[in-house]
Amino acid sequence: MRLPVLIALTAALFASATALAGAAPPTSLDVTAKSVDFFSNRFIVTADGDVRVRLSDGTLVTGQTFTMDLKLNRYLVAGDVHVEGPAVHAAGAAFAGYPDLDRSYFLTAAAAGAPPERWTYYGLAWSDAHAGREQPGDAFQFPDLTGERPYIYATGARITPKTNVLFSLPRVYTAGVYLPLPRYVVTFSANSHFYENGFQGARADVALPFNGSEHSLTALHLRNDPLNGTYLALDQHFVWKNDWIVASIDPLTQEQRQYNLIGSKWFSPALQGRLFLQESAFQTGIINKPLDAAAFGEIQLSAGLRRSGLIYTQDNYFQELMGFRKPADDTMFTFFYDPRWREHPMNAVLTWTGFQNNLISPTVPLKFRLRSGFGYTHDIYGEGGYPNLQPGPPTLTYHFAGGAISTTAITVLHDYSLTVQYDRQRMWYSEPHHVDLGDGRIALSRDLPRRHINYYVAYEVRTVGDYWGDKQLAAFPANPDVVTTAFGTFSGQSAFRGFSTSRALSASVVYAPTPYFALSLLGSRNYDYPAPVPGLYGQPPLQLVGDLRMRLSRQVLLDLTRSYYFNFANERYTPQFVIQVSP
Amino acid sequence: MTMRGFAAVLGTAAVVALAIPSGAQDQLLKFTGQLLDVRNGYVYFTSGDAFKLADAPRIADYDTGKTTTLQPRAKLFARAVFNPATKQVVELDITAKHLANDAQFAHIARTYTQTKPVTQKAPEIVGKPLTGREVAVTFIITVPPTTPLTADIYISTDAGGWNPREIKLDRIDGQRYRAVRRFASGTQFAYRITRGSWNSVERDQNGLEGEPHMYFTKEVDAHSETVTVYAWSDDRGNVPQQAAPGAIPTPFNPNPFSGSGFPPSRATPPGGFPSPRPPAQPNRPPR
Repeated sequence: MRLPVLIALTAALFASATALAGAAPPTSLDVTAKSVDFFSNRFIVTADGDVRVRLSDGTLVTGQTFTMDLKLNRYLVAGDVHVEGPAVHAAGAAFAGYPDLDRSYFLTAAAAGAPPERWTYYGLAWSDAHAGREQPGDAFQFPDLTGERPYIYATGARITPKTNVLFSLPRVYTAGVYLPLPRYVVTFSANSHFYENGFQGARADVALPFNGSEHSLTALHLRNDPLNGTYLALDQHFVWKNDWIVASIDPLTQEQRQYNLIGSKWFSPALQGRLFLQESAFQTGIINKPLDAAAFGEIQLSAGLRRSGLIYTQDNYFQELMGFRKPADDTMFTFFYDPRWREHPMNAVLTWTGFQNNLISPTVPLKFRLRSGFGYTHDIYGEGGYPNLQPGPPTLTYHFAGGAISTTAITVLHDYSLTVQYDRQRMWYSEPHHVDLGDGRIALSRDLPRRHINYYVAYEVRTVGDYWGDKQLAAFPANPDVVTTAFGTFSGQSAFRGFSTSRALSASVVYAPTPYFALSLLGSRNYDYPAPVPGLYGQPPLQLVGDLRMRLSRQVLLDLTRSYYFNFANERYTPQFVIQVSP
Repeated sequence: MTMRGFAAVLGTAAVVALAIPSGAQDQLLKFTGQLLDVRNGYVYFTSGDAFKLADAPRIADYDTGKTTTLQPRAKLFARAVFNPATKQVVELDITAKHLANDAQFAHIARTYTQTKPVTQKAPEIVGKPLTGREVAVTFIITVPPTTPLTADIYISTDAGGWNPREIKLDRIDGQRYRAVRRFASGTQFAYRITRGSWNSVERDQNGLEGEPHMYFTKEVDAHSETVTVYAWSDDRGNVPQQAAPGAIPTPFNPNPFSGSGFPPSRATPPGGFPSPRPPAQPNRPPR
């Protein structure tokens, strides 16, 4: 029953999204010329030599040169300009388009003794030129591109205003050389949903967006990660003002593929939905039947209430889409599955979250925020139960209540500021079982703006209490004191009875003398009970993180982060180098 | 005054009266700007002004003053030399290098342009002049109290292609992060606050996704932009995903070395997976 409901909700989401797709007619400028250049630093497209600009209504504007500021959304054709269309045949010196004002400005050529005129067209009404109307003072100005280097050379471009530019036969500046490509799409939309990610993390990702329109973007990615190596991936975006869908296949070229689909829909400003579907499949070819497959689906609905909000989240797991493996041994190759196996545990939770409120009055820097909710989990093969004695009952319900109290930054001793916060939650299960979570933090900071230095010291205590009443010892029986994992052997586990405490003393200093340079150091001393086991739980006892950010050039930002673990789990430095290159 | 003195004054006045107009005729006026076109006997500048060309205007190189083979065309810069008497351009000195407008630019454009004057106002054209001066902008972001101390916070802008890690902020106290950048006045962009990916982005107080923040650099010396983030999109309010394979009700940090070389945790619950769940990792390919 749950699956049909999920499918129905998915269909509703898609149906409503598709209805929106036709709401706005597409507009575009098709530009061809001897040379079409794109200056990425300025978001400017220029074209020179035999310029032909075809507007979306078919009107053709020709001239010697073209320039368009993609961010300001205005363009200019100049030099021997001709505007040709069913209702217009005009010649002039320059033609400027201002789509945001729904106006086009034309500087006519003198003819038959008549002096040049300034004409204004309203929208696409080419047969009705308004002479002598005021025009923007810089309507016919060229941008100053002195010192700028084109990021792309091409012979043609299809510009979708406020969205993207599709370049034909471009040469794209990559790693110091101009790389020829069949097509390339530059997206400059102010709509962030064009950039929603349907991929899992990777060490490196080079995107080749090759197709795009007002509401879509298709990209091929060359990626590298430790598990799959180097591979290709594909993603497809559909984007409207507030709604979006991204579908991806990642990897595309490996036998173990992941098919992802994420969709988001604003049903109204106060009701939003989000869907995430993922299938992981091991298949020798992309159209072949998988040898093994699993799936996960999540749907989330968010509703805004008066000074609060409701969020419903449902997770469905489909662990064995092919059925139960026979034999149940992943070291053996098999095509045989028991199709009667229908394991699909699910979890649904409805959460209410209140707004942040003043505890006493607006003048007292104390705020609080409340939350509560209830949930339902189901697994026919057993859910919950004692952590060490699964399975439990097939169905489990729980409810929870919690809240956070915090101060705003309180100024003390001139340039010091103090913040205190505490978060507490209790979760009750249908079993005689509840879990308490607590998190308290106090931080004292100091800002020295003249020295460009800021530092703080913070102390945080987090507690988890897993209460089973008189069955506490059954839930957490005595374990061996020593645990051996791939990272080593760790002791201090035997006394754990479900109550953990994590205390952390942190100190940080940030030195940022200019916007182009910042150095930060963060040291932490963690005291965990039970003792931390790498890969399972806990924090390294000692940790020092250094972060250096430096802008090497206008295009290159170096972000170097290194952590030092003081030989915990035989680990000293963990290097992370992030070099951010913008074209 | 004697008769002789009167005659001297009269003579001087006559000489001056004759000399002034001839001197004015010899004083050629100059207009410097960027060309749009030269067509049908007119030269057009990017100011939108068209000036009448004399019958045989001299085309010269701007730097040397000598005759040039360079043809006037769009984007080139030029100095137009006017004959005030005829209000025509008698010489056009052209160059490919950038030239600034000269002091008499506006006056000459107003006086000598042949473009028909504006007779109707356009109310849709609004705006105020901006100098493009550099303004120090401080972004101060207040995050939810539950945000970990070690969390990285970023600003993502449309100007940066919505890179979710575009501008990294530094934590300055228990709740706030800060970054300082310099922008030219008039700079405008949309931005959102992220934790480094689009899976973890700011949410409103009621958990809804809002519109991006809009930023505009005003004509001021310094500016502070403050934003409060009330929740993150991946914030589950400490609710454990009970049904997740391998989930345990005590939410310890499953991987203290995130982003390091350690393999991802399998987070097997104590005692292993429940029977009859197969021991194999779900979806693991046979070998």
